[in-house]
Amino acid sequence: MTRPLVARRSQVRLFWLWGGLAAVVLAGSALAEGAPQGDAAAGRKVAGMCRTCHGLDGLARIPLAPHIGGEPAAYLAGQLRAFRDGTRHNEMMTIVARSLSDAQIADVAAWYAAHQVRALLPESSAHSEAAAPQACVACHGADGIAVLEDVPNLAGEPVPYIETQLKAYRAGRRTHEIMSAIAALLSDAEIRAAADWYSGIEIQIAPGE
Amino acid sequence: MRHLKHRIFATLCLGAAWASSAGAQSAEAPDNLERLSNFKTTGVTEFTYVEQGGDYAEGIRQILANNITLPPGFHIELYAIVPDARSMAVGPQGIVTFVGTRKNKVWAVTDRNKDRVADEVKDFAPSLSFTIPNGPCFSDDGFLYIAEQNRVLLFPAAEFFYESPDVAAFNLIAEGDLIPEDEESYNHSARVCKVGPDDKVYISLGQPFNVHPAEKVELYNRVGIGGIIRINRDGSGREVYTYGVRNSVGHDFHPQTGELWFTDNQVDGMGDDIPPGELNRQTAAGQNFGFPWYGGGDTRTNEYMHETPPEGLVFPAVETVAHAADLGMMFYTGKMFPRQYQNAIFSAQHGSWNRTEPVGARVMVTFIDAEGNATMQPFAEGWLDENGEYLGRPMDVAQLRDGSILVSDDLAGAIYRIRYDG
Repeated sequence: MTRPLVARRSQVRLFWLWGGLAAVVLAGSALAEGAPQGDAAAGRKVAGMCRTCHGLDGLARIPLAPHIGGEPAAYLAGQLRAFRDGTRHNEMMTIVARSLSDAQIADVAAWYAAHQVRALLPESSAHSEAAAPQACVACHGADGIAVLEDVPNLAGEPVPYIETQLKAYRAGRRTHEIMSAIAALLSDAEIRAAADWYSGIEIQIAPGE
Repeated sequence: MRHLKHRIFATLCLGAAWASSAGAQSAEAPDNLERLSNFKTTGVTEFTYVEQGGDYAEGIRQILANNITLPPGFHIELYAIVPDARSMAVGPQGIVTFVGTRKNKVWAVTDRNKDRVADEVKDFAPSLSFTIPNGPCFSDDGFLYIAEQNRVLLFPAAEFFYESPDVAAFNLIAEGDLIPEDEESYNHSARVCKVGPDDKVYISLGQPFNVHPAEKVELYNRVGIGGIIRINRDGSGREVYTYGVRNSVGHDFHPQTGELWFTDNQVDGMGDDIPPGELNRQTAAGQNFGFPWYGGGDTRTNEYMHETPPEGLVFPAVETVAHAADLGMMFYTGKMFPRQYQNAIFSAQHGSWNRTEPVGARVMVTFIDAEGNATMQPFAEGWLDENGEYLGRPMDVAQLRDGSILVSDDLAGAIYRIRYDG
């Protein structure tokens, strides 16, 4: 039975992660203050390139695409830049992002970020407070709405989307200073449990003010 | 700023405090597949049922009535509301149709009163955790196979067991053995399967890139990624049957020749009008259909422009509209449709995702003449409106025992039935 040993190690490693995370958060928020502000109205036009998969309101139309309505602008812009410069790879997004200018990225991020997303935690034993995926809630929220600026919402994302992203971090195909370290500690069953948790949360997306 | 910092640290502490219990609990959850393989119960007793009536169904009926056009004598009607409906497998007894998704459900669709409209849609095998269970297929003797991202399960007598939450379930290809885990991706991971005339299970394995890099070619050829594999129904004798495929999400066997025909989706990012999509005909085991050297038809990929392609490549039987996304397909063998449709191919064009002017979102029919020449034309269309907005996106076609055909639509979350009364 190696299980208790693994759990203890997880705790120790997580402790270091939280420290690292705090540092990243502080640095990230300083960075965000200097980033260009996008124009949501101009971003609506750019979103014509996104709508078949992500919807014009950011409620995904295909399971391959995450919901991005109400996502933090800093996260959206950061991911688009990562697709454009090749640090993140996706068969579809790599093609879309390579044609985008800095201004278009800021605008389309502003358009989707301006939407309001609401998460509805189901009232079931599977979603009792104790069952929340503890490795995720500090940043992604127990309800799957991001607590920090450079963090995606997870509420309502399909199970395979969350599973595949976590496994990509674990295997090193996608990298992020926090997520790579957290995913490295997760078993397949823990990944599935986290995916089930967030996938089971219903979301509603409304237009921004 | 100070306030934000406090909130962050408070949340972090909360997170750390929760850090040990829940994870361990889920890691030790019982393996339901193992229980079902031993004909044991799992304790899961609840199905998820999908509401079939209401405003949503009425909205879809309006689209079908007002927008969709078919040749004279054909009619299209709503058969079932099925969320995320993808590839379909009609039970050989005609009792139930299983419908895959790119999420984590497989739906069982039943028309109990045989009025050709489904009465009940519920999840299949709710005690099992599926991951992208896109591809169900049946053997003639009633074994259901479901191809997932990285596993293929088999369910004996699924048409009877599905009424209970606990079904007999076994691995055909166990989790992690379909492809190496390092190659798991969210892209091009919607598998399809069919049982061939040789009684082997044929499974498509899309390669996860737009164009895969050269260092992957050897591994992919060995595993069958970017190809179609076949395997005996006892799980033995796995081999790569088809090479040089980018991402095939539809195949079937010619009812007379037994040859494998398959659709293939081609390279993105080369422009709106190239490369063409493909409908391919395979006449012998091991043939290579040209990817990644060719990105669709005879269009060379930029990435392999200066490489010498292998000898003996097979080019498509039909070049289809670029980026229309030809997906599910089947040969028609029913008696309801006019004679010209015998042994014709019905296939679904899902529709483009980033073409300047969207194309596709229709059902196509391909006629094959005595010499084997194939010509494809639209059969049912109108899901792409005048604003370039999708009213639906057909994904797969399957045949009911009465000779009518079903069309799945993963945008509307519905299955339509097309019948003929000319």
